[in-house]
Amino acid sequence: MSQEAQHHRGLSGQASPILVYSALCLLLAVQRYTPRAVLAQQTNPLASDPRAAAAGGVIFRAQCATCHGADAKGISSIDAPDLTLMWTQPGMSENRVFSRIQGGVQGSIMPSHDFPDTEIWMLVSYLRSVAVSGATEEFRGNTENGAGLFADFCADCHRVGREGGSLGPNLGRITLRRTQAALRSSVRDPNSTIDRGYKPISLTTVGGDTVLGVIKSEDAFSIQILDSDQRLRAFSKSELISSDRAIASLMPAFAERQLNETQLDDILNYLHQQQ
Amino acid sequence: MTHKRKLQLILGEMFNKPFFAAFLFIFPAMVAVAQDDSGPNYGDILQGFSDPSRWLTYSGDYSGKRHSPLTQINTENVASLRPVWTFQTGTTTRGRGFETTPLVDDGVLYVTGSNNYAWAIDARTGRRFWQYRRNLPEDLTYGASAPVNRGFGMLGNSLFMVTLDAHLLAFDRRNGDILWDVELADYRVGYAATGAPLVLDGMVITGVSGGEYATRGFIDAYDPTTGERLWRFNTIPGPGEPGSETWPNDPEILARGGGGTWMNGSYDPELNLIYWGVGNPNPDYYGDSRPGDNLYSNSLVALDADTGELQWHYQFTPHDLNDWDSNHMPVLADIEWQGQQRKVVMVGNRNGFFYVLDRVSGEFLLGKPFTGTTWAREIGADGRPIVLNDGSKGCVPDPWGSTNFMPPSFYPELGLFYLTARETCATFVPEEPSLVPGQASFGGVIFIDPEQGSGALRALDVQTGELRWEFTYPSPTFGGVLTTAAGLVFAGDHEGNFMAFDAVSGENLWHYQTGSRIWGAGAMTHLLDGRQYVLIPSGTTLTAFALPER
Repeated sequence: MSQEAQHHRGLSGQASPILVYSALCLLLAVQRYTPRAVLAQQTNPLASDPRAAAAGGVIFRAQCATCHGADAKGISSIDAPDLTLMWTQPGMSENRVFSRIQGGVQGSIMPSHDFPDTEIWMLVSYLRSVAVSGATEEFRGNTENGAGLFADFCADCHRVGREGGSLGPNLGRITLRRTQAALRSSVRDPNSTIDRGYKPISLTTVGGDTVLGVIKSEDAFSIQILDSDQRLRAFSKSELISSDRAIASLMPAFAERQLNETQLDDILNYLHQQQ
Repeated sequence: MTHKRKLQLILGEMFNKPFFAAFLFIFPAMVAVAQDDSGPNYGDILQGFSDPSRWLTYSGDYSGKRHSPLTQINTENVASLRPVWTFQTGTTTRGRGFETTPLVDDGVLYVTGSNNYAWAIDARTGRRFWQYRRNLPEDLTYGASAPVNRGFGMLGNSLFMVTLDAHLLAFDRRNGDILWDVELADYRVGYAATGAPLVLDGMVITGVSGGEYATRGFIDAYDPTTGERLWRFNTIPGPGEPGSETWPNDPEILARGGGGTWMNGSYDPELNLIYWGVGNPNPDYYGDSRPGDNLYSNSLVALDADTGELQWHYQFTPHDLNDWDSNHMPVLADIEWQGQQRKVVMVGNRNGFFYVLDRVSGEFLLGKPFTGTTWAREIGADGRPIVLNDGSKGCVPDPWGSTNFMPPSFYPELGLFYLTARETCATFVPEEPSLVPGQASFGGVIFIDPEQGSGALRALDVQTGELRWEFTYPSPTFGGVLTTAAGLVFAGDHEGNFMAFDAVSGENLWHYQTGSRIWGAGAMTHLLDGRQYVLIPSGTTLTAFALPER
């Protein structure tokens, strides 16, 4: 396909909302088209243009949403990942996201895309705009106090770096993936959001034992959990009398009198320093 | 496609072979060999399961029942069923993957895989005789997003397979060489092909994928010896043709109306009719640009096998807004219906309803929901659904539907239809799309509730559509179903279990964890050296099961 043809498709391809269309035309008019080989550049040429994310969103909903969801949060049943979290992966860059869109992902059904480079950069801009990231927020607590509080209240179940337990999610880099407000809410009410892989369950075996744990996996015949003693265990469903999923999160809720706002600030700042 | 490009493609294929010059030289001889009398003929396929050492067409016979007469494995001994061998494809596709039904003749399995790999495999040991891999273009369209294949068709020493770049190939079954290669449609526009060709007397029938792109679906018939096209039925009518009144009066809209035909069809030799499902109109979720019922999208069509002419149609989902393609295996049976014998065709549909139609006339006999769908709860006396929620109000079946292309099974003696049901909750938000050749145009977005979703194997009474029993799965499942005359149902699920059930009671009698989701495939079974084998593809493996040798 010639450069001219690509240019043409870029112009005619996005006719949906008038505003976005105009933005796209403008962008294409001002962006000098660069051949693909040269465009393996390190930075997004549209990064400073706020219209690029909106135009990218239109392309995303038309071309990507069927697998990655209309909100880019992925569809787990078809292994399509949550793209709002990908920026927190070590080594992730805009250039790398560009390459994945253009070249696809080997070994998965994510195909390559013969979009004009400008459209791919618009998609990158869009994905940047929906990234879940608390990293730009200001952290004000005392790190040293936070370390002590984390060891006392959290480390039995949560890992940071080399320390801590595994019953709850690893909290290393968590401040990149969740806002402070979301993290506060999870501490006060752990049931507000529970990640896949950490949903609680209470099992009663035919032997009369009750086992608490978090569900790692299950099929029609068996269930795989991490029990509250942090031991991986599997049960055949035929050896269970009951299984209760309606129980509260295994994480206790911390009220203000147990952990005040200042102490919470300290813990959050400690976590933020641990990336 | 120009002749020059066609030649390039054929030559491109040959240059992949080590001795392409020799291949060129013996090419005419091979075409001649393909016409010899060895290998199964039309009469053999017509006899279906009468020779249980063979499985010669996608469903085992033309009726689509996927119901084998074999009884060696039964409800008493199935608990001791065990794997005999596993074949690893060596391909990397995961998730959506291995949707094929192997064919078997004379102890040799003929198997297609994802990304247009194919193999001939020793049915006793799982060892491979030959492997074929198509040199696919890098700019695949629909074929890149669903790089799957559902199986070969077979006639004599020829095998037939469709490709992700929308070609139909004929193979020499003895060495995997290509006898001929014809283009069905231009893949760059959005076409692909994934179904198992249906072989009839002197013709190979195939459909095409691409309803998510600005394409127009069709069903084609080809000469098995030469690859010459015999007829084409366009699933979206041309201007002025019958059915065009259900579309806007705009040739451009008709020319890209969708209506893919990517699943296989069934065949009634007495009526000489082919039954084939038609997919969604394009754009998928946005209907404002295509007011009307949009025939023959989301319909079952009955075609005269000699001419491809439409005899009747029934539309399950008029003016579809939810991508509920009606690409299911139509199941043909002769049953007693309200006191009289009737030839019927049965369909478990993506829209959540189970249907029984008269297959001579297309008359609507029964339509009952088999899931909790809120799209509609009844079909009116005129055969049209009474739609309550087009998807914009939330919680209707997701675009993968209440069931999908995974084959169901019908057990004639029990009068039960077994299918995999999916309970999901999706909200559809239409958005006017741009229509660019080679780019998908869904026309909106969907929100799927990740907290809701389960699957089930369900047994339906075909007289009433009522649920007789069910076995539930933790997630929405794409595994198909096989029944055998020993009172067994074999099914696969999304968690990777391959299972056997008592067909009457629904009791689970056996299961085996294959290690990857069973997606789109139904099991097949055959007799070899007096031993009954059951085969299931899963992930990137094909496993053969049998009872322990005494």
